Amino acid sequence: MKPAPFEYHRPDTVAEAVTVLAAHGDEAKPLAGGQSLVPMLALRLARFEHLVDVNFVDELVGIDRADGWLRIGAMTRQAAVERDAVVAADAPLLARATPLIGHFQIRNRGTIGGSLAHADPASEYPAVAVALGAEVEIAAAGGSRTVAAADFFLGTWTTALADGELLTAVRLPVWSGRCGFAIEEMARRLGDFALAGAAVAIRLNDADDGVAAAGIGLFGVGPTPVKARRAEAALVAGERHPAEIGRLAMADADPTDDVHATAGYRTRVGAHLVARAVERALAEARGGQR
Amino acid sequence: MSVAAGRFIGQSVKRKEDPRLVTGHGTYVDDVTLPGMLHAAFLRSDVARARITAIDTAAAKALDGVRAVLTAADLNGTVRGPMLPTLFADGAQGPSAPIKPLAGDDVRFVGDPIALVIADSRYVAEDACDLIEVDYEILDPIVDFETAAASAELVHPELGSNVGSTMATPPDESLDAAFAGAAHVVSETFHQHRHANVPMETRGIVAAFDRYTGDLRVWMSSQNPHEVRMCCARILGMPENKVRVTQSDVGGGFGQKYFMPRDEMVVVLAAHLLGRPIKWIEDRRENLLASNHARTDKADVSMAVDADGHFLAARIDHLEDSGAFPSGGTGGTGVFVALLFPGPYRVAKLGWSTTAVWTNTCGRGAYRGPWMFETVAREQLVDVVARQIGIDPLELRRRNVIARDELPYASPGGMVFDNVSPAETLEQAAALIGYDEFRSAQAAARAEGRHLGIGLGLYIEPQAGMGPLGVEAAGLRVEPSGTVDVFLGSGSHGQSLETTMAQIVAEHLGVHVDSVVVHQGDTDVAPFGGGTGGSRSGPFLSAAARQASLQIREKAILIAAHLLEAAPDDLDLADGVIAVAGSPTRSVTLADVAKTAYLGSDGLPPGMEPGLEVVTRYKAPMVTYSNACHACTCEVDIDTGRVTLLRYVVSEDCGSMINPMVVEGQIAGGVAQGIGGVLYEHMVYDDAGNPLTATFMDYLLPTAAEIPMIDYGHIETPGITPGSHKGMGEGGAIGAPPAVFNAVADALAPLGVKLTRQPLTPSALVAAIESAGASRSR
Ligand SMILES: Cc1cc2nc3c(=O)[nH]c(=O)nc-3n(C[C@H](O)[C@H](O)[C@H](O)COP(=O)(O)OP(=O)(O)OC[C@H]3O[C@@H](n4cnc5c(N)ncnc54)[C@H](O)[C@@H]3O)c2cc1C
Repeated sequence: MKPAPFEYHRPDTVAEAVTVLAAHGDEAKPLAGGQSLVPMLALRLARFEHLVDVNFVDELVGIDRADGWLRIGAMTRQAAVERDAVVAADAPLLARATPLIGHFQIRNRGTIGGSLAHADPASEYPAVAVALGAEVEIAAAGGSRTVAAADFFLGTWTTALADGELLTAVRLPVWSGRCGFAIEEMARRLGDFALAGAAVAIRLNDADDGVAAAGIGLFGVGPTPVKARRAEAALVAGERHPAEIGRLAMADADPTDDVHATAGYRTRVGAHLVARAVERALAEARGGQR
Repeated sequence: MSVAAGRFIGQSVKRKEDPRLVTGHGTYVDDVTLPGMLHAAFLRSDVARARITAIDTAAAKALDGVRAVLTAADLNGTVRGPMLPTLFADGAQGPSAPIKPLAGDDVRFVGDPIALVIADSRYVAEDACDLIEVDYEILDPIVDFETAAASAELVHPELGSNVGSTMATPPDESLDAAFAGAAHVVSETFHQHRHANVPMETRGIVAAFDRYTGDLRVWMSSQNPHEVRMCCARILGMPENKVRVTQSDVGGGFGQKYFMPRDEMVVVLAAHLLGRPIKWIEDRRENLLASNHARTDKADVSMAVDADGHFLAARIDHLEDSGAFPSGGTGGTGVFVALLFPGPYRVAKLGWSTTAVWTNTCGRGAYRGPWMFETVAREQLVDVVARQIGIDPLELRRRNVIARDELPYASPGGMVFDNVSPAETLEQAAALIGYDEFRSAQAAARAEGRHLGIGLGLYIEPQAGMGPLGVEAAGLRVEPSGTVDVFLGSGSHGQSLETTMAQIVAEHLGVHVDSVVVHQGDTDVAPFGGGTGGSRSGPFLSAAARQASLQIREKAILIAAHLLEAAPDDLDLADGVIAVAGSPTRSVTLADVAKTAYLGSDGLPPGMEPGLEVVTRYKAPMVTYSNACHACTCEVDIDTGRVTLLRYVVSEDCGSMINPMVVEGQIAGGVAQGIGGVLYEHMVYDDAGNPLTATFMDYLLPTAAEIPMIDYGHIETPGITPGSHKGMGEGGAIGAPPAVFNAVADALAPLGVKLTRQPLTPSALVAAIESAGASRSR
């Protein structure tokens, strides 16, 4: 379990980073917290001639709020997200998802950008990004672009990032008004990737308890995080029966079997977790103005 | 009943090994670095069964930093003796899997070593492994042990059968009659899945052969350095006294390091061939896929029960998966599974069979309580009996458990149980966990739609003392300054022997525990010993250490009597001072005595041999028994299948406890392994024989978050060894699995759920709940 040889690069700026990345194309890979990449290198499941360590690029770190969006730099550690007061206030779903990621030792190194770029379908952040309607900022030698989270995740460990591109930040819309948020997951042990999970955001109308907006991101139940569009629409259309919303959500999912659980298990438990999360989010939204 | 604690024995003396171990300053095999040392990596088969049609090592050999690429053609011809444990090397123990250093013509499991690369670093060695090309002609593997015996394909063609061993009781009409006449006959089939031992420190070896002196020097992560020494001498055709083996700190073994594994033998052969020191540190992936695996059993079990719930007769038909190359013999534990099946209950008759088969999977090896499937199968069956005949499982055990006044009790398996307390531990565990209160709480929870359960696991555990397992050695030397060195024939790989054996010596010699230093694990220093395993160190090694202490004490008193001109009978040795009883001013220190013994031999009693040192051996009884009862409670979330353990209790009887903290620590570790085994750990193969769980992402070990606090109760029934200590190192892992399994089964029984297989994963439980629901609504 020793990685194959690679050349190590240590840029200090985004500009330097994307220059190195551009120079080496598909032979280069950014190294963030290393919590997913290093084990894959050690097992020789992945090998790259060039590793571009972005841990010293200070401009990739930070949490800022502006114009109704929360912008979090890609190299912001999961532990910083977990403890940040602005995140807790403006993106409670992200704050609540974070303690479910691995163990604190992992969150001290792991980054939000790494979690999104790695795109493990069982991880929490991609599902939260999809539920909230986040956007991903991407830099490259030729310029930068923004991609909606819903379009970013293409398959297991596959994203819209092209060779030479660096994810620089994620932008989360601040859900304000009568909102409620909940995340539910089933993992075999504390800190494991989820067998199935659901991140739910709901905004109620000011006038009545009708659902103005709903965002449901599922994880562990398909090759990508799943935006449960049918369940979201049903909620807005007035459907309130949790089991039915869970069923509709899983109709958008595509779970598979692995050594930890069958697809049937994931479907059943996923529906149950959606139902629980929706109930909790609705209760929170009814409980008060944010 | 209990045994009075001594000044050191029976006290929770802090572990001498902890300051270095818990601060990360232990010396493990990977900490050994020699000048000129090279690093090894194995190329292993990634197919389960195939003929090798070609191996091309040219590119690997050409890589910068590679010193050698060895294949079967280079190495297999250098072996000078059987690559088997010393116990089996004479061939008297039945067929053994045909182990060769490296796979040559064919491979027989994923992980089978094909080549050994020796390079300047492990990195380069692994790079070179990637460059070796092996052409395989894939064959159909035998993966399923339940159909292996009938398969036309053979794991080991040279042995002519996939059945490694099989034994059975002869037809017994009285047994048949007991079943035929019983009010109830309850039968079930239980499976226990494949585990891995997963020591925290993987295996590893540093081997150096000096061509000029002819000495082989080996550092190895081992439970058994003298066995390693004998093996090295045998496979190299060297005199045993030219081999020195050192086992320094060892980060666990649980049986995996009891014999000398094949991979380590290959490294020794390579070091001998090349004349350069070689280090091989097994990585975690190798440990999970190619060290030995464990468990993997199936049994059809039946109990004949009378109308009042008394057991009349039992039957077990057991099948075990030996894998391709089991470590330490094929099928050796199956007989104990069968013979111990009746356990701590009054059962008049027993019928059994046991069969071990080879498959194209990683070989089976010893794992903490190697025959513990007897407890799993029995205790799970007892709960099934309880449910079927409508008696509470605790009450059913009460009706059948062997009572103290029935001892010695001749079990139908041929064991004569004595000095045990199964009934007492059953009652203590039930009281500690609040059995009756829990039943009320469970009923109340059930009314709210919550599913709570309670499970028991009751067992008697033998410590075998026959043959080479029955002798333990200790050396003791009081140095001229009065400090005490102890040399143990068996060394610790996590059992705290450095502390507990110092306690034994301090107590029986009459010195402070701090003045005793324990040396272990080096064949140049330690007397010959049989290795640490089978829960024997507590009862037997302690007896050797005690014997050595008493012999030295006696000699010290004789010398002191001579110096003080007093009668030996009037002298006592305590705290390193030998004084005349009643007049403490007439005294000499142990240091004075030792100085006289070595340096002032003219002052010794006439005719006495100088020196204050001894090596002594203790011959153990054929068997001693300890016992325990585990109890645990759980809640099952029937929507997700999540099992939450609520409370865990162990009532144990290991006789006189040398160190209660160590006893509880050993139990805790075993319980964690048992819980892990039932709920999390599973070594999975697909139908093609590919291991699917070769990393810690998929082979799930329990962490502190998954293990509940454990409460302990102790009963100290004196044993028959001199110190009255009984073995307990393995027990935690024996009692825990059925206790956890029974608790989950109890929680789900009202839903009509029937559980017979481990592991109890959330997915498996939800499927069982669903199918029970479906069959109920049908
Ligand atoms: C024991 C354990 C348990 C875990 N449990 C969980 C869990 O429950 N849930 C969960 O979500 N995760 C879990 N993880 C994964 C963890 O969250 C990782 O930290 C995360 O997936 C990747 O973040 P990283 O910063 O470590 O990225 P790295 O490992 O450094 O990189 C991961 C991938 O993303 C790419 N990448 C990283 N940053 C960028 C960037 N800025 N631009 C472009 N590409 C980039 C890398 O090139 C690489 O391909 C666990 C990890 C471990 C070791």
